[in-house]
Amino acid sequence: MIELKGVTKRYGPLTAVDNVSFSVETGECFGLLGPNGAGKTTIVRMLLDLTRPTSGSLCMNGSPSHFAVCRTGVGYLSEESRVPQHLPGWRYLLRSAELLNMSRPDAIDQCTRIVELVGIKGREGTKVGTYSKGMIQRLRLGAALLGDPQLLILDEPTVGLDPIGIRETRLLLDSLRNRGMTIFLNSHLLSEVEKICDAVAIINRGVLLIKDTTSEIVKDGDGLEDVFVRYVKG
Amino acid sequence: MSTRERLRPVARIAKYTFMDDVRQRGFLVMFFILVAIVLLSRGCYQGTYVVNGRPVDTEMVVGTVSKVTFHIIVVGTMLITAMLSMGLLRRDRDDGMQGLILSKPITRCQYMLGKVLGIWFLTSLFMVSLHGAAFLIASVALGVVNPGYLVASLLACSNLLFVVITVLLLTLLMPDMLAVLVVIGVGVIGIVGDGLYSLSQSQTAQMILQQSSQPLPSGRTFWEVIYYAWPKLSGTVRFAASFIDGSFSSTYAYPIINIMLYCLILGFLLLLKFTKQEIL
Repeated sequence: MIELKGVTKRYGPLTAVDNVSFSVETGECFGLLGPNGAGKTTIVRMLLDLTRPTSGSLCMNGSPSHFAVCRTGVGYLSEESRVPQHLPGWRYLLRSAELLNMSRPDAIDQCTRIVELVGIKGREGTKVGTYSKGMIQRLRLGAALLGDPQLLILDEPTVGLDPIGIRETRLLLDSLRNRGMTIFLNSHLLSEVEKICDAVAIINRGVLLIKDTTSEIVKDGDGLEDVFVRYVKG
Repeated sequence: MSTRERLRPVARIAKYTFMDDVRQRGFLVMFFILVAIVLLSRGCYQGTYVVNGRPVDTEMVVGTVSKVTFHIIVVGTMLITAMLSMGLLRRDRDDGMQGLILSKPITRCQYMLGKVLGIWFLTSLFMVSLHGAAFLIASVALGVVNPGYLVASLLACSNLLFVVITVLLLTLLMPDMLAVLVVIGVGVIGIVGDGLYSLSQSQTAQMILQQSSQPLPSGRTFWEVIYYAWPKLSGTVRFAASFIDGSFSSTYAYPIINIMLYCLILGFLLLLKFTKQEIL
């Protein structure tokens, strides 16, 4: 479903991602871990062609990432919680749905379902500017889930959520994984990643340190947090 | 994918751009200022004008006032277009809409085409509406319908397309306000160039050149090339305005061709630059 081969991204003298290669299989729930500035978001942005790699290749859904067609059936939640403040939540969702080439009735159906799923029912008619950080995050997660994507790319999905929101998001991701959706998760919340993800990769300073199944990585009785600290601190 | 499916996201992005920009405060302020100018121009159609003790023909007064109103509306709309285009990509970037749209199966060309068409349609509609109001006022004052006014308005829309594309391209290269100032500069230099060219073609100037024993400056051809190659914003407005009094001639259509060529070349450069742009 996702394949990176020798991907490098440089910003002037800074190497944000250094010769990274890994793949994510269909139906897998994959967690990309790393400290701040490790290059996780840069990898996601390259996958979605929001930024171009300096060298190497990225494929998604069997097509090179610079082809728009590879983003068909992909839901994306970005790290930044920016949304147009003047739009009501409902309009934001409707626009997101319509941009997926849905007809108006289909878009309305999907948005009605999503509003309930992410728990913003009753507030969808008010402007996003009045939403709390957690509500905005729920709204954006809802937008990513529109169109029943086969691949969900989530960059820090639990930022701004309270413990109940974090738990609800985990349960939601669990149910999506059980339905066969491929999930690519960037997160700092190692306990959540450990509970959800089938496979994990740890990256630091742009270099991939390890990529394996979660059960293989935490097999010696250590938690994912211990393994993470061990790898990152060298 | 069929052409219709390819164009659907373009149409939707254009629609959202239209809806978001129509509520911009700057747009509304300029709209009311220009509406006030159009309404105030009503008074110019009434009364008697006397020059050197002779009353001026009503038809001539109406024609002149119509042309002046036409020019004011075009220049005002070009300024609004530049101001709206200036923040177009920045607003989308700040709102996270650019990232949201481009993370979907939508190409950067489709996105940019949607933005350009949305803002162009909005400002063209704005200008044609104001011209329409002026046209109605003139028609009532003169008692004759002059469809040339609306043709002139539609022709002037090509200038708005030029402004949208140029400002968008420049905002990818320099600060927003500087991009607007550069486009205003292009327009002002064009007006000054037209004035100097007309002056150099006048009989007096020709006589002075003939009487002068000095040979013609060798740089003249170069400056003529520059003059013809420069974006003909004022030339387009003059050509369009010639439809109002029926003095148009296809031999003066060069400014329109010049502006359309600029739109094609700058549009291509805009797409090329935006394709390589990092989406923040």
